[in-house]
Amino acid sequence: MNSPASYLWAGLIVASIAWYAFLVVYIGRKAGSEIRELIRTLSQRGPSDPPEA
Amino acid sequence: MTLSLVDWSIIVVYLVGCLVAGLWMRRYVRGVQEFAVAGRHMDLNLGIASLAATELGLVTIMYAAQLGYEKGFAGATIGVVIWGAMWFVGRTGFVIGPMREAGVMTIPELFAKRFGTRVRWLAGLFVAVGGLLNMGIFLRLGGEFLVHATGLPPSQLEWVMTGLLGLVLVYTMLGGMLSVLVTDYLQFLVMGVGIVAVSLVVLWHTGWGNLVSGLDTAWNAGQLKAHPYNPLHASNFGWGYLLWQAAFQIACATTWQTQISRVLAARDAATAQRMYRRTSFYFVGRFLLPALWGAAAFVWFANQGGLPEGVNSLTAMPHYLSLILPIGLIGIVVAGMLAAEMSTDSGYMLTWGTVIYNDLVRPCLRRQPSAKVELLLTRLIVLGIALFLLIYGLWYELPGNAWDYLAVTGNIYLASVFTLLVAGLYWPRATPAGAAAALVLGAVGPILFLVIGKSHAIAPEVAGASSFGLAAAGMIVGSLLTRRSPPSAVVPA
Repeated sequence: MNSPASYLWAGLIVASIAWYAFLVVYIGRKAGSEIRELIRTLSQRGPSDPPEA
Repeated sequence: MTLSLVDWSIIVVYLVGCLVAGLWMRRYVRGVQEFAVAGRHMDLNLGIASLAATELGLVTIMYAAQLGYEKGFAGATIGVVIWGAMWFVGRTGFVIGPMREAGVMTIPELFAKRFGTRVRWLAGLFVAVGGLLNMGIFLRLGGEFLVHATGLPPSQLEWVMTGLLGLVLVYTMLGGMLSVLVTDYLQFLVMGVGIVAVSLVVLWHTGWGNLVSGLDTAWNAGQLKAHPYNPLHASNFGWGYLLWQAAFQIACATTWQTQISRVLAARDAATAQRMYRRTSFYFVGRFLLPALWGAAAFVWFANQGGLPEGVNSLTAMPHYLSLILPIGLIGIVVAGMLAAEMSTDSGYMLTWGTVIYNDLVRPCLRRQPSAKVELLLTRLIVLGIALFLLIYGLWYELPGNAWDYLAVTGNIYLASVFTLLVAGLYWPRATPAGAAAALVLGAVGPILFLVIGKSHAIAPEVAGASSFGLAAAGMIVGSLLTRRSPPSAVVPA
């Protein structure tokens, strides 16, 4: 590993892989709940409810 | 053919799952509000998944890997620039805060409140033309990946991509943003697993030490034309290009309609800003991980004596992956890459379809159509966009590399619309004449690049930066030379 800049890129690669893995688990769980909530909200809306701005 | 029965099973299960989930959401669509912005019920984490999935397409992976192949890790610097731009916009709420509070569905709709309906229509035209030209190469690049990664005969590229687009079209046309959000979520998961898995396999297969020494050797021997680590080196991007990218990416974060559609679908401005901050680092990996694959492909083929016949800097990465990924894993990876392609196609078709209906068609209608007719028209426009993609994607030949094409076509409206947004929100003296001048002048540089780019060498940063300068000049001079328009604040709805 000759160039010091390669250490910076190595750090960013490791951080990116870790971040992607974390997001898949964390966002996967949280966003799944939000989809259920979204569907519940849409199901409960009556036909005459005005759209929200 | 490199795919086994196990790989095909994974891919089929994934595709059927997406189709079923997308079609399921159709029942909740009652009007254009649900169709275009999911009734504005999107929460933070779903927004992050959707934004990340839409903005990381197979086309992204292809051009980022091409940058890695040609420029080493320094090719991923643009991802670092986007990280800074997204974090800045998310932290300050620059443009996106007041835009969400205005309660509009598209950017040109905001211009109607500030500059009048003519500017809205003109802006809608530029947004749609720039966006569609930009999206025009998605299918071909996605198809190139699949052909090289799976070993499909090249003659089947068009049929495979037509089938894939048809599948995306069905659920996007019927379920709109609601289907897009749910399928984006599935695609975010599959794509995330695929990207992490490929990155680990590439690192394991090549070895970090071999990768770095291979790049060093190639750079010292003159095989690699750009410095593999230093983006500021004269052989790599250089200052001029990166400064243009900084301005371009801030404009993109505040103006690119597919990103802004998530802002407008968010519950409120604070949710939109949090979504931007938390997604910002994702953009580093969006460039860096495919660049890692591209750089590894470069080292691999350099050690083998060069690229095989029929393979170039764009297709080297998928060809390399087809050689190193084991049976089973390649099925997950192909499903992940299909996910990347599908989430981007659906998000983009919906977004440009909404703009065309909302800002080009609707202002020309004498009577306000019923909700059913509005939905039908929007769906037909989405269908028209899909047809355009098929035709344009098959015959257009790229004048430079894929990233430059995407940046320049995006710039057709980015520079001018960004100027309108900033002036409209923060400069009370801005007038409709200044806005019209900014729109037209901002598109001159990028269009010239597209038209004469093949015969005359125009640097993309020159074409791009000139459009920002021309748009700003048009806005300032046009506004100062005309009468100030009546006070028309952008009022939160």
